[in-house]
Amino acid sequence: MAVAGTPEELDRLRTTQEVARRGRSPLADAFRQLLKNRLAVASGLFLIFVVFVSVFADDALISIFTGKEVEPLIAPYHFAEVNFRLHDQGPLTRTEEGDFYLLGVDYLGRDMLSRTIYGGRVSLSIAIVAATVSLVIGVAYGIISGYSSPRVDNLMMRFVDFLYGFPLIIFIILLQVYFKALARSGSAEGIAGFFIGIDNAFGGMFFLFIAIGLLNWLAMARIARGQTLSAKEKEYVDAAKSVGASDRRIVSKHILPNIIGPCIIYETLQIPTYIFLEAFLSFIGLGVNPPTPSWGIMISETYRGLRTFPHEVFVPAAALVLVVLAFNFLGDGLRDAFDPRLRGS
Amino acid sequence: MKSKLLTFMGLLVLAGLVLGACAQPAADDSQVTELQAQLDAALADAGASDEEIAALQEQLETAKEAAAAAAAAAAEAVPAEEPMEPQPVTLDYNFGTEPPTADPSLATDTTSSNLIGSIFMGLTDQDDVTKEIVPSLATSWASSEDKTVWTFQLRDDIPWVQYNTTTGEVDPVLDDDGNPRIVNANDVVYGVKRTCDPNTASDYAWLLYSIKGCEALNSADPSAEDFQDVYGAMSVVALDDFTVEFTTEFGAGFFPGVVSMANLYPTPQWIIEDKGDRWIEPGFIVTNGAYVMSEWVHGDHLILEKNPLWPLWGTDYGSGNIERIFGVTIEEASTSFAMYQNDELDTAGVPLEEVDRVKAEMASEFKNSPINCTYYYGFVTEKPPTDDVRVRKALSMGIDRATLVETVTKGGQIPANTFTNPLNFGQHAEDPDIAPWALTEEKGGTGYAKAVEMGKGLLAEAGFPNGAGLDILLMHNVSEGHARIAQAVQAMWQEAYPEMTVSVETQEWRVYLDTIRASSAIEQVPNVFRLGWCGDYPHANNWMHEVFNPDEGANRIRLSVDDPQVGDLVKEYAETTVAAQVASPAEADALYKRAEILLNDEIVGIAPIYYYTTVNVTKPWLERSFDQIKRHFFQWELDWDAKQAALEQ
Amino acid sequence: MVRYIIRRLLSFIPVLFAISLVIFMMARALPGGPFDFAGDRTIPASVVANLEQKYHLDWPVWRQYLAWVWDALRGDLGPSFYYRSLTVNDLLKQTLPTSFQLGVLSLGLALIIGIPAGTIAALKHNKAADHASSFVAIMGVSIPNIVLAPLLIYIFAVLLGWLPAARWGADYTDYALGFIPPLNRQFWEHAIMPVLVLGTALTAVIARLTRGSLLQVLREDYIRTARAKGLREKSVVGIHAMKNAIIPVITILGPLFAAIVTGTFVIEQIFGINGMGQHFIDSINNRDYPVVMGTLLVYSVILVVANLFVDIAYAWLDPRIRYE
Repeated sequence: MAVAGTPEELDRLRTTQEVARRGRSPLADAFRQLLKNRLAVASGLFLIFVVFVSVFADDALISIFTGKEVEPLIAPYHFAEVNFRLHDQGPLTRTEEGDFYLLGVDYLGRDMLSRTIYGGRVSLSIAIVAATVSLVIGVAYGIISGYSSPRVDNLMMRFVDFLYGFPLIIFIILLQVYFKALARSGSAEGIAGFFIGIDNAFGGMFFLFIAIGLLNWLAMARIARGQTLSAKEKEYVDAAKSVGASDRRIVSKHILPNIIGPCIIYETLQIPTYIFLEAFLSFIGLGVNPPTPSWGIMISETYRGLRTFPHEVFVPAAALVLVVLAFNFLGDGLRDAFDPRLRGS
Repeated sequence: MKSKLLTFMGLLVLAGLVLGACAQPAADDSQVTELQAQLDAALADAGASDEEIAALQEQLETAKEAAAAAAAAAAEAVPAEEPMEPQPVTLDYNFGTEPPTADPSLATDTTSSNLIGSIFMGLTDQDDVTKEIVPSLATSWASSEDKTVWTFQLRDDIPWVQYNTTTGEVDPVLDDDGNPRIVNANDVVYGVKRTCDPNTASDYAWLLYSIKGCEALNSADPSAEDFQDVYGAMSVVALDDFTVEFTTEFGAGFFPGVVSMANLYPTPQWIIEDKGDRWIEPGFIVTNGAYVMSEWVHGDHLILEKNPLWPLWGTDYGSGNIERIFGVTIEEASTSFAMYQNDELDTAGVPLEEVDRVKAEMASEFKNSPINCTYYYGFVTEKPPTDDVRVRKALSMGIDRATLVETVTKGGQIPANTFTNPLNFGQHAEDPDIAPWALTEEKGGTGYAKAVEMGKGLLAEAGFPNGAGLDILLMHNVSEGHARIAQAVQAMWQEAYPEMTVSVETQEWRVYLDTIRASSAIEQVPNVFRLGWCGDYPHANNWMHEVFNPDEGANRIRLSVDDPQVGDLVKEYAETTVAAQVASPAEADALYKRAEILLNDEIVGIAPIYYYTTVNVTKPWLERSFDQIKRHFFQWELDWDAKQAALEQ
Repeated sequence: MVRYIIRRLLSFIPVLFAISLVIFMMARALPGGPFDFAGDRTIPASVVANLEQKYHLDWPVWRQYLAWVWDALRGDLGPSFYYRSLTVNDLLKQTLPTSFQLGVLSLGLALIIGIPAGTIAALKHNKAADHASSFVAIMGVSIPNIVLAPLLIYIFAVLLGWLPAARWGADYTDYALGFIPPLNRQFWEHAIMPVLVLGTALTAVIARLTRGSLLQVLREDYIRTARAKGLREKSVVGIHAMKNAIIPVITILGPLFAAIVTGTFVIEQIFGINGMGQHFIDSINNRDYPVVMGTLLVYSVILVVANLFVDIAYAWLDPRIRYE
């Protein structure tokens, strides 16, 4: 596509191409593009694998239908199975009873491999839910703000400033306290009861998801707005305006595809932050209820013993680093796939 | 664009450097003298505000630093002729956290007590080795027959001193006639009354309610007309310059222990009234202890210097040789330990996770020492199913204390079968007459296996065979250590009684204390909560009576004489701890044993778990003691040559 | 532009009021008060009453808030309930400069390394340099501080003995103008590790963002035009592309700056640095309301000002963005 020309010509050229490609949705296009990126595909497969393994760590999903008691499926042991005598043993521990611990056991003699597999449930779901909530709300808010008149834009951004001043921790303490108290008092009816049901299903972290998602779209919104401000002054937007395109069409066809790249990249880079935030909150007591494991809490419980029992820190840390790497490579792939100008290059 | 940005950043850096350079004006000594004069004038002028003084002090400090820097530069240029002054014997120590206060009346925590105990001295003290109450400011004491009137005879040679921030000397404080002020009975009376005074608003005033008139004073309205009368009516009086007399509400045999607490120390009235809340800052603060505070950089470090005017140096009580203490306030245990290994600290705590390795690799430096605290699980005796004494007993039996301390807490803690810590008068720790199922067979108990069998029997009797239908909520406040113990206990219970369910919930500390208070709704409280108790003074009254007597303490376990199962026992318990207060030592000891049996074995209000220890490492050149109430730095010995030799390597 | 800035500055007033009011209400909605307990002991009502009277907690909440606003407007943020002899102003004076230095140094490191690294990665898209720099960046952001910090302390302090294990190399009594540290050897020795730990994560974020956004810009029509016109590659990238590519980076700098310079709990905790992050968390745990209010107010002010600078930078970098 090494065609030089005025912006108007280029825009016309792309419109022609779009017409030529009619019949294929942009999403399908992006997906085809994504498949060409081997690293991204491998990362995607790895993440699917990790999700699969942690979902089927035990047969909770299956037992809903069979009604049987939940048993470990992929994980060799249940995450809370304690063996005091074995505490802190390193990898490749074999006992006289024939138990084998590939990655060793933790301070209570619980299997590190099983806990890491189960831990993926918390850490992955917080990553996925919080990232999605933040991306959707943030991009939508940012585009609307950036595309609107300066007066509206100013107002919307001041609201973001206001929310920024919101102390996340106080907010989460309040949510947890309120809902946990409600759950204990058993007076959970109506909407509150519904939420508490969900919360229990999530191991007591549903409100964490909400809180983290709700308070982390702000940076996303500012990025999306900055990008929109810049994009809406671009020639192709002027061109689209001049041919009478509706605002809706301009936003969805011209602005959104052009700004989504940096947004996705930023979001994938935020994923470790969410996972760490979960650990931090667990550390100050606002996270999952023990003995439910998450990678964050496994690290923060044992980092002081880095030198004495390194496996207790490095096993969950390795899981975390690998997943974050995969999210990043996938994010890269997605960015390339969504960038219209990279197609065919 | 990029170059623009780079230029901009470069300019910023330059600007910073220039500002940094300008901010250190070439001050000379004359400027220092002038500022000092101004400051002195301001201090003398009662009308000068704290802000003005603070500003002047700041200027003075800057000027002094600049002058010192100039002098140092000059010294560097010309080879120093005078030999270097020998460095003081310095202890590098970690206080563990920023002391919330240095005001004896306001102290509520151990860090503040450690600081205050080093710079002030009180009437009595507790010996680190024998754990006995020993003379300190008081040389002797006596009580009336019924132990309600206590007289203390004071030393007459302890001067009030103040650190001079200009000269770096410790100056005696002079009275209006130019004589040194000696700590006297009126200073003690003022210090004690100040803690009870509602204007001081001390959190710990209630610990002094055993002194007649303290509660009335503390509850009085400061603006009421008769306030001075109430103040005067409080029963602590100076009989003469060096004799002080207390009258207590009831015959309290433990009173000499109570007066060892910081809240009853003598304090300097004139400087407190002059400086207000800021009187504890170096330069202002007037003290009477072994050390003076020369610098307090809040949140970072504080420096204590030897008080050469303290007459007890060289005696058995002040046998140490440390001349300066550089105290940092690092909270993170692993960091403090790394600093110790890097020779930045002379003694430090060991993080739980490292105990196994440190015990093996640094055995000669490692030491765990008992401290006066007990870890326990409390039962809410009103909430089903822990409203059944058999369930509570089975749960207490289901905790394998020996395994817990060996594999989870690791610091050499002692499995507990009583509440009162062994370091107190009236304790009966490890007495197999009390809750023998909590003790191993070697110690005369039943051992864990038998305890579980007994527990199963009790549960079956109570209608929960093998724990079926038993649903227990265990709650603890946020902390890794508590989480480890809770998860271990959860696993032990579930192994002992396989059909029961145990859920564990954690809460942030203040929320937690709010949740488990005796007045919160029964749906909100857990069945089992964890807490620890540390003694304020070494006597069972501080434990059995003040914590669990339902008429006295917080009663989080909700003991009630109306309880259908154990109401009579609760009544007996309440009467026993009251009777023990006025009984003779031998009788009191027997009464406390009965109370322990009631609390741990018959009512089963709590499941005691272990008696605390602290786990420390100490460098070979330091000889330290391990204490209960406060650090006795003035009894520690440091081999300065050995330390310097080690640091130079 | 000047009118815009003035308008923005005026608009801070209601924002700050709203934030302070909400925080005030939220802090007081938390269960447990500052004086309910001493350790785990319940304090009798008469003692609590004395404390509440001293700190005016017995007033109705609206009156407490108005009193707080009135004092705050005069620059007095009140006493600390926990550190009984200190005021919030004292605490801020003691901790903010240290957090500020740590934050500025880390952010500076992140910009100096992150922007060139991201630029190189974008220019060598899909080549070895790109993959290498991406990989390093991602590793930097995915190793948790809570692992990296103790690891560095172990290696450089305990094992090699090159650096002090913890603490900041200067304190508030040394600062010129209240916030500039003496830039001596002691300062830098102590600063290296915390700045490195905090800086790696930031560097990664900035490098990745620069790469992503520059890649996109490089495919823009006007860059093709510029190239087609035969402009030198250096000026195409350096002037035309960078100007637009830097916008997302600048955008996150606003909140990032505010969050970083007001303290980071984990790093301050592990390195034993007397910063504002620790005081904020502690103040919530202690229900030290004035300190909660004071630290959040400082944070909010820095945030709105930083965001104003960001918006001004937009206009400077991209003249097509107009504020009228």
